[in-house]
Amino acid sequence: MYQYIIRRILVFIPMLLALSIIVFGLAKAAPGDPFTGKILDPNVDPIVYEQQRAALGLDKSIPEQYLHWVSSVAKGNFGKSITYNGRSVESLIKERVKNTVYLGLFSLGITLIVAIPIGIYSARHPYSLLDYGATTFGFFGLAVPNFFFGLVAIYLLSINLGWFPAQGTVSSNSLSGFAEFTDRIHHMVLPGLTLGLAGTATYMRYMRSEVMDVLGSDYIRTAKAKGMSDRNVLYKHTLRNAMIPIITLMGFEFGALLGGAIITEQVFNFPGLGTLFIGSVVNRDYPVIMAIALLLGVAILVGNLLADIFYSIVDPRIRYD
Amino acid sequence: MKRNKQYVFLFLLLLVFGMVLAACNKESDKGGTSTEKPQAEETNKNEDGSENTSGPKEGGTITGAMYSAPAGMFNPIFYQDTYEANVLDFTHESLVSQDGNLEFIPSLAKEWKVNDEQTEITFTLEEGVKWHDGEEFTAHDVVYTYKAISDPDYVEAGGVRTNYVTPLLGYDEYVAGETDEFIGVVADNDYQVTFKFKEPNVTPLYTASFTIIPEHIFKDIPVAQIPEAEESLQPGKVIGTGPFKFTDMVEREQYVLEKHGDYWQGAPHLDKIVWKVVAQSVMTGLLEKGEIDFVASPGGIAPADYDMVSDYGNITIVEQPDFGYQVMGFKQNHRTTEDVASGAINPDNWVPNEKLSNPKVRQAIAYSVNRQGLIGEGHGQGLLHGRGQQINSPIATQFWVYDENAAVNYTYDPDKAMQILDEEGYVDVDGDGFREDPKGNKWILNFDYPTGNELRERSAPLIKSDLEKVGIQVNLRQPKEMSAYVPDLTNDNTDFDLYLIGWTLSSADPDPSGLWNTKAGYNFSRWNNPKSEELLQKGLKAPEAFEKDFRAEVYKEWQQLFSEDLPALILYAQNAIWAYNDRIQGIKPLGHTMYQDPHEWWVEDAK
Repeated sequence: MYQYIIRRILVFIPMLLALSIIVFGLAKAAPGDPFTGKILDPNVDPIVYEQQRAALGLDKSIPEQYLHWVSSVAKGNFGKSITYNGRSVESLIKERVKNTVYLGLFSLGITLIVAIPIGIYSARHPYSLLDYGATTFGFFGLAVPNFFFGLVAIYLLSINLGWFPAQGTVSSNSLSGFAEFTDRIHHMVLPGLTLGLAGTATYMRYMRSEVMDVLGSDYIRTAKAKGMSDRNVLYKHTLRNAMIPIITLMGFEFGALLGGAIITEQVFNFPGLGTLFIGSVVNRDYPVIMAIALLLGVAILVGNLLADIFYSIVDPRIRYD
Repeated sequence: MKRNKQYVFLFLLLLVFGMVLAACNKESDKGGTSTEKPQAEETNKNEDGSENTSGPKEGGTITGAMYSAPAGMFNPIFYQDTYEANVLDFTHESLVSQDGNLEFIPSLAKEWKVNDEQTEITFTLEEGVKWHDGEEFTAHDVVYTYKAISDPDYVEAGGVRTNYVTPLLGYDEYVAGETDEFIGVVADNDYQVTFKFKEPNVTPLYTASFTIIPEHIFKDIPVAQIPEAEESLQPGKVIGTGPFKFTDMVEREQYVLEKHGDYWQGAPHLDKIVWKVVAQSVMTGLLEKGEIDFVASPGGIAPADYDMVSDYGNITIVEQPDFGYQVMGFKQNHRTTEDVASGAINPDNWVPNEKLSNPKVRQAIAYSVNRQGLIGEGHGQGLLHGRGQQINSPIATQFWVYDENAAVNYTYDPDKAMQILDEEGYVDVDGDGFREDPKGNKWILNFDYPTGNELRERSAPLIKSDLEKVGIQVNLRQPKEMSAYVPDLTNDNTDFDLYLIGWTLSSADPDPSGLWNTKAGYNFSRWNNPKSEELLQKGLKAPEAFEKDFRAEVYKEWQQLFSEDLPALILYAQNAIWAYNDRIQGIKPLGHTMYQDPHEWWVEDAK
């Protein structure tokens, strides 16, 4: 098992290298550079930007620039942002990544808490009122665009009723300890719901069909026949088997979670990696693009590795040697 | 069972409808009468004159909204983002500021004297001005600021404000590293500072209007490292002379300014000003609810929301022309491939664009664009809901040199456009409904535009259909994002004919040569008119141009020339729409800023 994990991790290195070459090539192939998208200011002499390009080495050939980037990353230096003058890439990412992770986990938590019990219930009582209701609700969540749901939630729950803050991640810097924690959770409710609702339908439908599938299988009939209680059948036999596709989904989710939720982040002004990534692509902020692409690459690879490991925990028949 | 399902569905449908209706109500029941066009005038809802209270109250906090977070560079010499100005306008000051007529008025400098040749200007500074950390502001800070911008490492470190130092005496030698001696700005004593220029300077006050940073904070940091220094980035470490201190931030969410008790013009009444970053789509709701107290440029209130916000009842709206305009440019010349590769802007090599080289044709195009239709007459009309102006020359209307009557006004007149095109020989010979050029060849104008400004994007297809109505065939191409569009505009060895772009102008000086001079990089039309060149030089030439009236005459002539030769048609100038809650007293909005004298702001409900 450990050997397997180490082997998998070693494979990451060439994959990430290949990823970085592709992303670097694509980023450079896009027309323009960090200075062409700046607001055109008639009071700034365009020659100034020429000099800054040269200072950043943007006038060198692309392979040369790539080698320069790789060698500094190998030394652990992701460089400085071009758009955010004076800021290192690490500091920009560090500032955003915690927001993204908290929000991602919070919304995933909402998704799972809502989706799994409802999925199980729907599978055990198919075509019941609650099953139909849950299905409608799930597809409603899937069909309503995130930004629209977010705006409606802000309008009703924040502006009209005043239950939740409309924007941001925290009320002020002066909070600390438990007060800060509850304040952050309070800020996370609306964006978390918005984001979580969208994922609910997928998980719920998966859970429902998997449980129904397993419930109809021979070993469940055997278990029931030998007098096992419904509870035991459900928890010991059904759920374990039904969880496998859910784990696959969550493995993907792990990478997507770091990618952030651009629209939700914008509507709620919840600064996360998604908006930073989009902004850096629009502004051609190469060092930031590359760092986030690598981060996402690592997250997706690790997510899949974790999923593989969880398979063997959930289903002892799956072994890696 | 089936019916139950339908109930659930029906219920959800009703819920959604209810939400949509609730959101729409506000807009649909407006009076529809506010068609007045205030010119830098306020439409105050509570006509009490606000003289009923005894006087300013001390204390209180107000909250402002901006739509995008500052990049985080709170050093005036390195910031580039307009959103950082929202903080810096309150924390830092210059020797001079501008009044409502854009005349320079004393700020940190109480008076000044220009020598007869206009090669030197000497400022006498206010005494007793304290930086936020208690140190005294002196002439050495002024010298330091200009010296830092002139530093050989300044541009490479990301600075772009070199146009404030290029006129200074000895700048070229200093920036090249040939000398350590900086002679362009000299402190005569602690409270007197002299700017010296290479040649007579027509706009010495503009050159001297840059924001001052403290020498005692930055003197030990090499200029190349100033951008990453915490004195440029961190609240509490950023030091200015302004009425408010930048004390705290939740990065990208809120920026807290606290009053500077030792402010030289008197301690501010307010305790705090908090800037919050909010999405534009929810801003109006927060404004109505009172969670946001004010919003101004950049952004302000969207034209479509004007009526809704003015119906709130507790909000004062300030509407006035913005410092900027949108144009549809005519590529009169293209550069050669060699020049594009080398970056040379050499008018002698330019290749005329036959499709648009006849000025009459450009005029005909100008007549055929329904500009008033783009602006609209009121709510629900046009792109701007009537919240904009049709201007005819590329100078901000607030400037003393702007002359409405100097320029030709191309009012929408498709018949006249068709008549001109007929006269010039652009007629439809092959019967496809579109005109051919005088030689009988196909005449198709390529039309390019960028994304990023929604109203501008929506104007492109409207203009295309206007042009097609008079028989001009237009090839409207896919819009591109700015980062990709600007290189296409710049490297113009291409087939560009018509292009859209917007400009934001400086409020400091009306000189348009940065955009329209033949060799200016931003002269994307590659407009090459010797007469224009001559006039633009004359407008800045000493000693005649020391006289304002002389410059006004010159620029009047130039505006006329511009509108006749038409390197670009100015589509519209959108109005800036600012708003603030009536609880704030003492705001004096000027044409270029709402943040004049914020130390005099106060709130009714201060405890």
